[in-house]
Amino acid sequence: MQVLTNIQQIIDELSKEIDPKLIVSEPEDLLAYESDATHDLAKMKPDVVILPNTTEEVSKVIKFANLYQIPVTPRGAGSGLAGGSTPIKKGLVLDLKRMNKIIEINRGNMTAVVESGVVLGDFHRAVEKQKLFYPPDPQSMAVCTIGGNIATRAGGPRGVKYGTTSHYVLGLEVVLPDGEIINTGGTCVKHSTGYDLTHLFAGSEGTLGVITKANLRLLPLPATHRTVIVTCETAYQASKIISEIIARGVVPAMLEFISLSAMTLLNKFLIEPLVLNGEAYLFLDLDGEIEQIRKEIEKVQKICNEMNVVDIRFEEDEEKSASYWIARSNLYPSLVSSVKKLIPEDVTVPRNLLSEFITEIGKIPTMDHISIGVSGHAGDGNFHPTIMLTDINSEIEQRAQEIAGEIIQCALKMKGGISGEHGIGLHKAQFIEMELGSRQLKLQKQIKNAIDPMGIMNPGKIWLEESE
Amino acid sequence: MKNLNDYKDALDKCSHCSFCQATCPVYQESLLETYVARSRANLIKEVFLEQSMPITDRVKEIVDRCLLCSNCQQTCPASIPIPEIVISARYQIYGGKRQGMTQRFVMNRMMKNRGVKGVWKWASQIGQKAGVAPKELPDLSRKTFERLYPKTKYSPKGKVRAKVGYYVGCSTSSMFSDTGDAVMKVLMHNGIEVHLPKGLVCCGIPALGEGDIDTAKEMMVKNVERLSALEVDAIVTDCTSCGLTLKETVLSVLGPEDPAYEKAKGVADKIYEVTDYLNQIGLSRKPEYKDWKYTYHVPCHRDWSPDLVDAPRNLLKDASLPNLHELDDPQKCCGGGGSFFMEYKEVAQNIRSPKLEDIRRNEADTVLTQCPLCRIYLEDGLKGDKTVVHPIFFLAQAYGFLTTVKSKK
Repeated sequence: MQVLTNIQQIIDELSKEIDPKLIVSEPEDLLAYESDATHDLAKMKPDVVILPNTTEEVSKVIKFANLYQIPVTPRGAGSGLAGGSTPIKKGLVLDLKRMNKIIEINRGNMTAVVESGVVLGDFHRAVEKQKLFYPPDPQSMAVCTIGGNIATRAGGPRGVKYGTTSHYVLGLEVVLPDGEIINTGGTCVKHSTGYDLTHLFAGSEGTLGVITKANLRLLPLPATHRTVIVTCETAYQASKIISEIIARGVVPAMLEFISLSAMTLLNKFLIEPLVLNGEAYLFLDLDGEIEQIRKEIEKVQKICNEMNVVDIRFEEDEEKSASYWIARSNLYPSLVSSVKKLIPEDVTVPRNLLSEFITEIGKIPTMDHISIGVSGHAGDGNFHPTIMLTDINSEIEQRAQEIAGEIIQCALKMKGGISGEHGIGLHKAQFIEMELGSRQLKLQKQIKNAIDPMGIMNPGKIWLEESE
Repeated sequence: MKNLNDYKDALDKCSHCSFCQATCPVYQESLLETYVARSRANLIKEVFLEQSMPITDRVKEIVDRCLLCSNCQQTCPASIPIPEIVISARYQIYGGKRQGMTQRFVMNRMMKNRGVKGVWKWASQIGQKAGVAPKELPDLSRKTFERLYPKTKYSPKGKVRAKVGYYVGCSTSSMFSDTGDAVMKVLMHNGIEVHLPKGLVCCGIPALGEGDIDTAKEMMVKNVERLSALEVDAIVTDCTSCGLTLKETVLSVLGPEDPAYEKAKGVADKIYEVTDYLNQIGLSRKPEYKDWKYTYHVPCHRDWSPDLVDAPRNLLKDASLPNLHELDDPQKCCGGGGSFFMEYKEVAQNIRSPKLEDIRRNEADTVLTQCPLCRIYLEDGLKGDKTVVHPIFFLAQAYGFLTTVKSKK
């Protein structure tokens, strides 16, 4: 193995491979790349940041890194919530945001080809202009990139009806850890050729290679939609309503559960603020043809009446209705801003056990300066319990870590999972074995070693090194 | 504002969500994360609060390379006042001496001595001689607003519906007296008495851009004195940046301990952008229907009043001017940003390019905007292909008022 002993050597050698203007290494710039959106939980400055414009440049960088065994952390918007793009082993950060071309939107085939740095919100607007629909909607969609979405199998409120990113990925262009470029899958809905590498790279969190392009499946844009807001007396009542709505055959496009404390923070984003006289709030969005929506709204109203909810609001006005969803997308940052430190969880539980899950979470003992929020994409069973710290000391932090484990135990006991849409990254690596078990974890590591024998791709993620 | 420690709590509120990437024009120009608010805030925290990093040339560049457009603050879920924080950092670095001597001399002299006969002409000549006046600026030596309207009070014919003070910003005073003339005529035509207090100076925003908080404060106190003495229902300005300064920034600059603070607050409560004001009070007389096509570029300094963004849209529609052809992205920044376009020519031009394309694609030949700097910078880019004027100028044209100054270069 050849060794480069200092950063200047890395830069000098890299400059022979790619345009030096794509390389950034001043400490003030490196600071900008030290973490994702979980800045309070972990940070590390990389040695060098590279901003490639093409797959060929990515390939050259990866070949170089493989030759000298330098860690590479691929990065989209850096808006992740698991520390996945935090360059914990230093080395190179590969910022893919300049690879942001929408290469093709194919109406006939209902597919699109995009570079991985395309911002999700831009892609939404582009396909919707053509009356097409790309449902995945992580709440950072104004900034997050499709590459990052694929690497984490990101989802969002629309998961309840439409699933998550991996359900829309048909094929990928990937730069492997040796720098070779492969194309997995294709542009057809059906594909049964060999192992499904497309969906191995989807969710690989940058540990198996660099996703540079994606073929995505599109749907027709729903004709219209309506937003319904339900104020519930208790969280328990809200969870009962959720499972009842779906059990009676209404599948909303979005079905969000907001706790009272979260709603208090979000009210300022609403054009018409809510009266906060319930313990929990449901945001529903029903999409499709208006006749069908009307019927669904009737059913929802009937269920809510039967359950004696505090209030129900039907929003016809587009702007007002949008404000609920803008508020929802501001939930995570608003929570973080309101406390000293926050640990975001991303567990899933079967929908029929929602009320039990909420009850169990309520039983977890906290302490002064710790509270647990329980908002989330309840419609698809993906909860985001947040452990919120209003003060920090070692005792509080230790208890917070324990609570994180207890929440995960609770979800696993109900046959749920530890991550619905954020990925494992750094912060949940300690828990992965709890869900997968040792044999399956070993298999995952064997796959990793087969594809990335030098271990250069995003090291330190998904599982703890001690357990290797 | 002079002490960055005042912003510690605000900086601590940064959740690092990175939503600011969605709207920061400077970040989007390079897509280098260093330039987005999340990173700027983190850097400023490390350098000035934690003092874990030295003030290097790179730090200076990062602090300088900001439009102060406030798009990040508008997008931020925690509304962190990044522009104020950047101004404060500039103050820390340069102590008000960011630009060269000549530039500072010209800027300060002309802005502190407005109303002195010939000061604009004088400043413009010195600026050009010294080579610090950029080619994008229109000629400063045309007839100033003060020469068109020398009195302190102008009453409408007939019944007085309302009394307003008119804060005339430097641009309207010196190079865009067409806007001022239009504002006067439209207000009076709608039964509004207009007071023009003597001795007003620059609102202070250019000085703040230089991190020169002391000069800005001096100007602000002067203006607050003059404006608070007015017995009026409202104080209007035609400039969205002057409005932002008089409504919000002044309170941060002075701080609650300042003896002028209460007066400043009283003034702030009365400040309206003139289109917003007219839209709220309603037109008492409407022009006849005109099929004139126009489009609207929304200035970045728009967040200090909830109705400001839509005010020109609603007012002109109400004034029988229905043919607004919206831009694809009306709120996208033009790249001007005070003196930013002089300092970072290429960056500013790259930011402006998509805006110009958007405007060129648009059916309308008239672009409306309430920001004089946007007007200067867009006119420069459009090279005479389209006209950029204030919405009230457009309205005045619809009323059939002759305006004494042509708007085009």
